[in-house]
Amino acid sequence: MSETKTKKTTGRINTFKIVQAIISVLFLAVLAWRLYTVIKSGVYGPDTWVRFAISGLIIGSVYAVIAIGYTLVYGILFMINFAHGELMMLGAFSGYFVFEALKSIPVASTGLSFLDSFQIISVVLAFIVGMFISALSGYFLERIAYRPLRGAPRLIPLISAIGASIFLQNAAQVTFGPQRRTYTNPEALMRSQGWRIPIGGEEVILTYTGVLTFVLSILLLIGLYILVMRTRYGRSMRAVAENKQTAALMGINVDMIISNTFIISGALGGAAGVMWGIHNGIIYHFVGFIPGIKAFTAAVLGGIGNIPGAMVGGLLLGIVESLGPAALGIDFQLKDVIAFSILVLILIFRPSGIVGEVLTEEKV
Amino acid sequence: MKENIKQGSRSGLIFGIILIFIILFGLTTTLSDIFGDFFGLNSNSRTGNTGGLMMIFALVALWAGSQAASFDKSNWKSTLISGASIGLVLGVIIGVFTFLVGFLDAANVEMRDYLVQLNRQSIQFLLYGRSLWTGTLISFGIFLVFGILGGLLTFILEDRKTGDKLQQRYLALKGKILDMEFVQRYQDNPKSRWISYVILLVIVFLIPQFLGKYWNYAMGTVGIYILMGLGLNIVVGLAGLLDLGYVAFFAIGAYTAGLLTAPAPIPLQIGFWPVLIFSIVMAAFAGILLGIPVLRMRGDYLAIVTLGFGEIIRVLIRSDMLSPYVGGPQGIRDIAGPSLFGMSFNEKAYLYLIILAILLIILFTNYLQNSKVGRAWMAMREDETVAQAMGINTLYYKLMAFATGAAFAGLGGALFAARNQYTGPADHTLMVSINVLCLLIVGGMGSIPGVIVGAFVLKGLPEILRELDLYRLLVFGGLLVFMMIIRPEGIWPAPRRRMELHEGELDVLPPEESLVGKEG
Repeated sequence: MSETKTKKTTGRINTFKIVQAIISVLFLAVLAWRLYTVIKSGVYGPDTWVRFAISGLIIGSVYAVIAIGYTLVYGILFMINFAHGELMMLGAFSGYFVFEALKSIPVASTGLSFLDSFQIISVVLAFIVGMFISALSGYFLERIAYRPLRGAPRLIPLISAIGASIFLQNAAQVTFGPQRRTYTNPEALMRSQGWRIPIGGEEVILTYTGVLTFVLSILLLIGLYILVMRTRYGRSMRAVAENKQTAALMGINVDMIISNTFIISGALGGAAGVMWGIHNGIIYHFVGFIPGIKAFTAAVLGGIGNIPGAMVGGLLLGIVESLGPAALGIDFQLKDVIAFSILVLILIFRPSGIVGEVLTEEKV
Repeated sequence: MKENIKQGSRSGLIFGIILIFIILFGLTTTLSDIFGDFFGLNSNSRTGNTGGLMMIFALVALWAGSQAASFDKSNWKSTLISGASIGLVLGVIIGVFTFLVGFLDAANVEMRDYLVQLNRQSIQFLLYGRSLWTGTLISFGIFLVFGILGGLLTFILEDRKTGDKLQQRYLALKGKILDMEFVQRYQDNPKSRWISYVILLVIVFLIPQFLGKYWNYAMGTVGIYILMGLGLNIVVGLAGLLDLGYVAFFAIGAYTAGLLTAPAPIPLQIGFWPVLIFSIVMAAFAGILLGIPVLRMRGDYLAIVTLGFGEIIRVLIRSDMLSPYVGGPQGIRDIAGPSLFGMSFNEKAYLYLIILAILLIILFTNYLQNSKVGRAWMAMREDETVAQAMGINTLYYKLMAFATGAAFAGLGGALFAARNQYTGPADHTLMVSINVLCLLIVGGMGSIPGVIVGAFVLKGLPEILRELDLYRLLVFGGLLVFMMIIRPEGIWPAPRRRMELHEGELDVLPPEESLVGKEG
């Protein structure tokens, strides 16, 4: 009796896999055909494609930085830090306030404001303050909302994270007001300015803010990778991710490592927030939510718990999201649908992500 | 001694920071008005109810002082020192803050461009409408004096063991009531349960008669949330599948009802009753469709996929591409409501319809819960692998949970659309899913009375606390975190779940064990 039952089960899984394979092949064929017709029709010139790819790379690099925050926390605590997008929002607001404050300080020697006289210092200051505030919030978030729940069933910290996310969003709304605010960048980082590249008879603008965002993201990612993979501290982080109990026996202060993980992930979120503000220009209390979810998608896309995976996933998601609507010839309003469809499809067909997984089935 | 001061000032720092945030949220103004009105303090139209503010500060200081003193209440000196140190720290923090804010305001710095709650009026309010120094000193004095008082009170009350006495009295009273003759007779009578159910039912059916139009409408909203809560209760509470995109089924129900009964964008205009059935079927079908691909997922991944699914549905119904078929951002107007014997429904009739639906669903859920299906779901929730080994066809039961939950949401959506005669993308945001999940958790997962209590707390209370409208979600988010820490099983939990969540407390764990936790 039991033997037939097992046979039946394996049989069903095999059929399931075959059906899956057929559906995915059909799906890819439809996509390829659609892409071919759109490119052949020549609605978009080469310059437009380059423009989309550039904006995708830039937004993707921001996603990657946020995604690392998710991956770090997930790797260690196996929980989705739902409030991570809100840490990014706080960072964006901090950077905004720094710029506003510096703008109001006049400098006698140049006759301009501090913001325009010492532009590099101003930008560095905005990043430092934004990262500091977000890191601090991340620390307190863990202390207040997550630490008391360690060891509880997995739904409980997730609900707590959702609660923290709602709280932070609305706290920002009542303190800073519901209106949208525009970042005042220093003069060198005017949002429409940039290098002009001629492509196919048209000019493509490579904005300074975009380049700053992209370069800074890559630098942050490399720095983090070195921290986690090459230093003694990173080794203890990985040990805690592997097995908390054993790590504790080896003399690692597990609580401290977890706190510091939240500080690092918060700082990355804050940096992403300031980049978002400088590049996109408009911030409000809800600004962290959608990028947060997309960044989680990116983290899953690359294989959650995996740092290089999150980088690849973020860049890929940005590009697909930016090129996708054009490539498939559909409305640009539907770019979120593409992002979420990718999330759903990846989770269904390859839950371990593109780059590789760090999780066993039990952890998922 | 030194330890007391250290502990006191540390707690004072935390209390102070929280208080500053509360001031920045602007909550102090609202709370002071409510408080002052309640105790009949005069409100000054220029600055607001400063007496209320003083009372709030005093209460916070009392509470903080008693908290600090509870750390070491061996003798009156130590409680005094604890209370004094926390009061001093709090007073300095709030004093410096008010002084700084008042000073900046006097120097004509416009803070409200950035921190919207710090306008001229609220700053005057923080200074009690007096000069800079006087206002600051009043705050400082209140915190110091009441901090010390709080510390000393803890000592005095601790000495007399008032808490223990109260508890004893409560137990004695409870025993007396249970000993009374008619309570005994009631408990012994096997029919008593049914009698109380009938009484409850009669009360529920009489309530709408005494409510006005507004309250009938508000209670109807609560009712629709109860419907959705009962549905999600099956998916999350019984089967243990965390679904964050529950609103998708609500939307499908609402749009099916809307599209089939409204004159535009598709002029079908079928009657309400057959459409109601059809929306339930459509939602259940969507539940199965979503269920098939996500069957093998567990926990967080399932949550994220369902969340993505909900967002996809919302973006799709908003999009220009589908707007000729589903109305786009404007939504669907003039949805036909139901009519019975030639009479169309008003708020009261809708409330009765919703109550009827809730009762039917409660009966149905109760039946499922105690049947083979319900036991299979609960086995799956506890441990999927073990359930599978026990011969439970998990794929089948998961699909069934998804379909049932979705069907209830579809019913809720259809009723919602018909009652409002309108439905649009704004009704189907992620917040709806999260609200339903939260009412489930606040009420108590897997418990039917819990769902009802949760819906009243989360949807009914805000209707009563209209003054706090701006802070509703803020309080809500804080409440969720607080609830998870203090009482993760909810207000009215299912008995089984309460045991689960507290099982660890019975064992004595070595300190390393509790530090590391169960996972990993």
